[in-house]
Amino acid sequence: MLLLKKIFFIILVQQVALMYCDIKAQTRGSEIAYLQTDRTVYIAGESIYYKLYILDAETKKRSVQSSKVGYVVLRAVNSTPSLKIRVNVNEGMANGSIVLPDTLTSGVYQVIAFTSAMRNPGEESFFHKEITIANRFDKALDFKLLESGTKNSNLTHLQSLEPLIKTDKPVYGTREKVIVHLAKTNCKANVSVSVFEESKIPSTYKSIVETVNDSSVVQKSKRVSNYHSPESKGKILRGTVVDVKTKQTIKDAVVLLSCVDTIPNLQYAVANSNGLFQMLLSDYYDGKELFLTIKDAPENSTWKIIIEDEFAQSEKWNPSLNYDNENYREFIVKSQNIVYINKSYKLNEDANEKQLIDVKSVCPQFYHSPVVTVLPSDFVPLPDFLEIAVEILPQVRIIKEKGKYCVQIFNDLLRQYDRRSPAIFLDGVFLDDVDKIILLGSEQIKKIDVIAAERAFGDLVFSGVVSITSKTNEMINTKPASYSMRLKNDNVNTGGNLVAVNPNTLHNPNIPFLKQLLYWNPNMELNGTDDTKFEFYTSDNLANYSIKVEGISEDGTPISASSGIQVTNKINSTDK
Amino acid sequence: MKRYIYLLLLIICISTNAQTNVVTIVPKVDSVFLSKLTGEFFYEKKQYIGEQFFNIDWANGDILLSTGVTICNKSLKYNGLLDELIWLNTFNFGKFKLDKSFIAEFWLKNILGADIHFKQINVSDTSNIKRQCIFAEVKVEGKLSLYIQRKISVIGSENVYRNGVLYNYDDIQATPRYYIKLPSNHYLMLTKLRRRAFLKLFPEKKKDIAKIIRVNHLNIKQESDFVRLIELMNNEVVL
Repeated sequence: MLLLKKIFFIILVQQVALMYCDIKAQTRGSEIAYLQTDRTVYIAGESIYYKLYILDAETKKRSVQSSKVGYVVLRAVNSTPSLKIRVNVNEGMANGSIVLPDTLTSGVYQVIAFTSAMRNPGEESFFHKEITIANRFDKALDFKLLESGTKNSNLTHLQSLEPLIKTDKPVYGTREKVIVHLAKTNCKANVSVSVFEESKIPSTYKSIVETVNDSSVVQKSKRVSNYHSPESKGKILRGTVVDVKTKQTIKDAVVLLSCVDTIPNLQYAVANSNGLFQMLLSDYYDGKELFLTIKDAPENSTWKIIIEDEFAQSEKWNPSLNYDNENYREFIVKSQNIVYINKSYKLNEDANEKQLIDVKSVCPQFYHSPVVTVLPSDFVPLPDFLEIAVEILPQVRIIKEKGKYCVQIFNDLLRQYDRRSPAIFLDGVFLDDVDKIILLGSEQIKKIDVIAAERAFGDLVFSGVVSITSKTNEMINTKPASYSMRLKNDNVNTGGNLVAVNPNTLHNPNIPFLKQLLYWNPNMELNGTDDTKFEFYTSDNLANYSIKVEGISEDGTPISASSGIQVTNKINSTDK
Repeated sequence: MKRYIYLLLLIICISTNAQTNVVTIVPKVDSVFLSKLTGEFFYEKKQYIGEQFFNIDWANGDILLSTGVTICNKSLKYNGLLDELIWLNTFNFGKFKLDKSFIAEFWLKNILGADIHFKQINVSDTSNIKRQCIFAEVKVEGKLSLYIQRKISVIGSENVYRNGVLYNYDDIQATPRYYIKLPSNHYLMLTKLRRRAFLKLFPEKKKDIAKIIRVNHLNIKQESDFVRLIELMNNEVVL
């Protein structure tokens, strides 16, 4: 009876522990994304300056362990993505600019910001913001806008801490210096500051205070069904191996990844029981064409690699729109004219300060040992690789089995040719089909590296290595096998930041100096002990301007505050 | 009554967990995306009299790659005869000689109760003409550093009869080499621990060093005392 009681108690404790682990697992890795943009109305061709915050959902703080990759999607009303960018997040922050293509049609667009880990609680946890973009050449301006009843956080003056924005005066003249003081915060904080022309065009988004406060509700509401690992080391390439004929996923398939380089390189992942594989893409793969293949795929198989689109949005965007844009027409026309004038006078060209990125990419080399290098140019020209193997590569032989060519390497220990296939590389890429090199002769091949020994690469074992470097990058011209694929890895967005221009230092003071964005600083540090001061200059554009400050303090308190100034050419003597 | 409450609690817990449609396994990204070790198949020649490995049994070890990535908990053996690190791949039970240029440092854990740290250092060979990269045990690191190459050398050969067949076996034994790294990054090498030979390496500090040896009653023919001497030299002698 006592034993029964003990067993009963152990089971009870185990079940309670399981429940606790499940709750912990749901919240672990969840994040909050917040994207501040410099404005909410743009003309196609202009840049969106942004600051992205990635916060831990539990602590609401920036963290060094948070995702290192952020995704930003700009999509039109029909939910078609117009722009997709990947940004490198450092200690929970990223900033830069996105150039809006000149060809964008006028209309309302949605900006979505998220991390891969945010897919776990669901797409509703992503950051969403609606902005208006007008084409520079659109004179009709008959596009729909958001209904004016929608909430515009831009106009609500939210203050969570008290970094009250104080300007030296409320009204300024043109080309005049504006000094702004931000009152001290309780502790150190990082904020982004934007000074832009106010518009009444509706835009919906939450301030950072609202985003952080609302996040807890969303994060706990969903159960994890397809876990996305936090990209805390870099971008993760996710995909599935499936048999297209039977529609079944293939487990334990070994997916190999390499890209064109002078060094043979390889990375691999093994598909799990659901056929899913994941690979960490370091900076090395940025902007490169990726070659993916399945190791030892059965002959005539219908296996296929399907890569998950990291930018994909399953939920459609259905904003409430109306044609009531007459009231805003004036503002858009003015914005179009300002962009036109600035383009004419080439005033925007020096405005961007490119961000320097410290790239420490390491090539995932397949081997780090000495090789036997053969240069075909040192020998009599040979027409194809069959001849090259016979004449100048004593350790390599090519045989034909069941109508297919096979490369074999001589094994010194066994004193015979190894029947297993070696790793064959063409221009650094793992080759999925030997037939692709058969027609390459001395004219096409620059050098051949051979390792005639059994090699290990992680848990994979190859009978040797044959690495061919072509003179004319032959790998680019080859067609991938049915079980292989090519994929262009996007570049990281490294857009620059705005450089504040002093109009009084312009070479020609008579040229128009018209700005709708007077100031943008994505990284202003508030030290928590003193007021923070910054300054900028007004332009010839007479308007009301908003000063918007948003950010997060070290203790995880969101900061959001806004104020306004007016620029006019009729200033009272008291204002001066 | 108590029994019923327990039973009710258990049923609630089980039913709550049963509703979990997916078992949430939160993988650590670090354990999934490790760098891959690269190496060549190691054929272990066994015709030796003596031990070719520094650690006879497979030791659990960590490897710091030249890329700065650390790979943990691998079964390793250091082969002093070849000056190579051998890895036992527990997935396919193959033994591989790891690519030397890919390894910066490695740690063999729990060798006679201690962790042993090896580092790849670039030193001149005995002829002082050619430089070579060797794995050496890190004993002291400071202004003066002491590295010991756990070299195993062939000192002769013997013919051995086994089952009526005559075999030729190589005699091997430990022949450690002691490398002292000076603040100028130059290395001094000792093949044997002798007081006079060591003092000759530091002619200007000869008296100071001799004093340290005398005061601390060190017998530098013993490796432990030699290590102690280098530590004391780091603390006491102005180099």
